[in-house]
Amino acid sequence: MPLANLRGRIAWIFDQENFDVDQIVGVKNIKITDVAALAKLAMQAYDPDFAAAVRPGDVIVGGGNFGYGHPHYPPLRALRHLGIAGVIAESFSPGFWRGEISMGTMLAACPGVLGIVRRWDEIELDWTAGEVRNLASGAARPIEPLAAADHLMLETGGLVPYLKRDRVASRA
Amino acid sequence: MGYTLAEKVLARVSGRDAVRAGEEVMAKPDFVVVYDFPGYTDVIFRQMKEDFGIDRLAEPERYAIFIDHMVPVATAAEEQLHIQTREWCQAHDVPLYERRGIGHQVAAELGYASPGAFVVHFDGHISQLGAFGTLAIGLRRNVLEAFVREHVSLKVPHTTRINLTGQLQPGVMARDVFHHIVRVLGPSSCRFQVMEVGGPGLDGISLEGRQVICGLAMFTGAITAVVNADALSRAYTDPRARLALPPVTSDPDAEYAAVHEIDIGALEPVIVVPPNPANTRNLADHIGMEVQAGYLGSCASGRLEDLRIAAQILKGRRVRDGFSLHVIPTSQEIMARAAEEGIISTLVEAGAFTSSPSCDYCYGRIAVLSSGQRAVSTGTLNVTGRMGNPDSEIYLCNAAAVAAAALEGRIADPRKYL
Repeated sequence: MPLANLRGRIAWIFDQENFDVDQIVGVKNIKITDVAALAKLAMQAYDPDFAAAVRPGDVIVGGGNFGYGHPHYPPLRALRHLGIAGVIAESFSPGFWRGEISMGTMLAACPGVLGIVRRWDEIELDWTAGEVRNLASGAARPIEPLAAADHLMLETGGLVPYLKRDRVASRA
Repeated sequence: MGYTLAEKVLARVSGRDAVRAGEEVMAKPDFVVVYDFPGYTDVIFRQMKEDFGIDRLAEPERYAIFIDHMVPVATAAEEQLHIQTREWCQAHDVPLYERRGIGHQVAAELGYASPGAFVVHFDGHISQLGAFGTLAIGLRRNVLEAFVREHVSLKVPHTTRINLTGQLQPGVMARDVFHHIVRVLGPSSCRFQVMEVGGPGLDGISLEGRQVICGLAMFTGAITAVVNADALSRAYTDPRARLALPPVTSDPDAEYAAVHEIDIGALEPVIVVPPNPANTRNLADHIGMEVQAGYLGSCASGRLEDLRIAAQILKGRRVRDGFSLHVIPTSQEIMARAAEEGIISTLVEAGAFTSSPSCDYCYGRIAVLSSGQRAVSTGTLNVTGRMGNPDSEIYLCNAAAVAAAALEGRIADPRKYL
C-alpha cells in the first residue's frame, strides 16, 4: 500500500549542494540530548522566528547530496519536534538517508524539486502518483521510488517497529 | 554481462545464484562488527532485550565488539559503558577486543577482512575492509537489524569503477589519491554505490594505502569501497582470514554504473580545507599558513608507512615550540612494529607526543583545539567542531605534510625534507 500523502508548506529551502545538517542546530549544540532545548536552537542561524512560523506537517526542501559529511541525529530530532514532517531533496547522502529513514523521518528524493518551489508554498508529496506537486502553481516533479524496506520503515514509524512487525510476520 | 564483486558477494549471502544491482535482498552478514559507543551499543543491547526479548545470539562467533573509543576513559560513566559492554560480551559469548587499536584496523589484523566476506557495522569507515576484497558496509542504527535477526535488508548497490594510472611521486600518498578522487569526480559521484578501485596505478600503492582509500569512500557518496583481492592482499589475508571463501572478484565484463580513469602520476600533495571533506585543494596553494596542532593517526592513517615517513621527516629535527603534534599508531600491532623499527624513538626525540592506539584524537574527545586554532590532520574528517571546538579549523592532509607542518608551525611542503 502506498504511504499516505503529505500536504504541507515549505518551511525552509536549503538550496546548496552537500548540505551538512549539523548546521541546523549548530555544531556546538550537537551533543545536547534534550529535544526541547534542541528545538529552541534549531534554525536560529537561518531564521530566528522559525519555531513560531512552522506548523505541523510542514516540510524542508534540500539540494543535491543533502546530509553530506558526518550527519548526526539531533538536527532532525529538533525539526521533528517542531512539527516538520519530512525532507524533500534533489538527492540524499546515503548515511543521512539510512539514519533518518530508520528514525521514521519521511524523506523523498525528487530531482528538480528546487525548480518548482519557493518558501511557504504549499505542496503535496503524493506517493501514489509518485510525485511532488506545488499546489499553487501546479508544477510537479517525480519522486524516486522507495526500496521495500524503506517503505516499511516509514509505514511502521521506524526501524524498531519495522523489525518487530517483520519478526511477527515471519513467525506467522 | 558479468557481475561485480558486490553482486557476487551479496548473491552468496542472500542464498541466490545471482543478483543484479538494484535488486532488494535479505543478506546474512558473515560478520557483524561494532565498537562500543553511547547511543549505539548500549541502545542495541537494551533494544534486543526489551523490544525483541532476545537473550542469546544464535551464532555469537559472527559478532565482534571493539573497545577503541574512550580509551583511556576520562570519566566513570565512560568506564561504566565499557563494563556493560564487557558483561554483555561475556553473557553472549561474543568476542571482545579491547585496547588493541582502532577496530577497523584490528578487524583486518584479526581476519574479519576475509576476501569475499560480507561485513556490517554501524560506522561507515568499516568500508576500509574493502582493501582486502571484503564487502563491508556501515548501516548506522540499522545495524540493529543484524543483532535481532540473521539477515539485513539491502538494495544491491551499483558499482563505479575507478582505474588509477601512473605512479605516485615521492611524498605523495594514498591519502592524496583519495582526496584527488573526490576533487575529480565530486562528493556525490558514487552516491549509494560501491567505489571499486583498481588499475595499474594501484600497483604503487601499499595495502595500507588501499585501506586509506577504501576507508574514506563515504565522502564520494559511496556506501563502501572494494579493491579486488590480488597476490598482495592474499599474502596478508591468507594466514589471518576467519572465513576461507572461493576467490571472488569483479568480472572483466561486469556492468558498472560508470568507469573513470584517473592519472595519479602527476598528482601533488593535497590539502582538504574546512568545513567539509569535499574541499580538496593543492597543498602548494596553502604553504605558509600558520597551524598550531597536528594529528597523525585515525583509521585513515597512523599505519607503518605513515609513521615511517613522519619519522623520516622529523629525524634529527625538532617540532616547533608551541606546536602540539600527536602521533598515534592505529593499532598495537603497528605500534610494536614501529617501536622495533626505531620509529617511535625518532618521533619522541623530535618532540612528538605519542600514545597507545585510540580513536579519541579523531573526534575531539581529547587533544581539543582552542578557539581560533588551526590543525593539520590525517583524521577522517574536517567538519566544523570535529576536534572539539566549532571555532577552530581542520585541514586534512597526508602524514608527511603533518610532520612538515610540525617542524615549521606552518603548512609546508613535506618533499623538501625527504
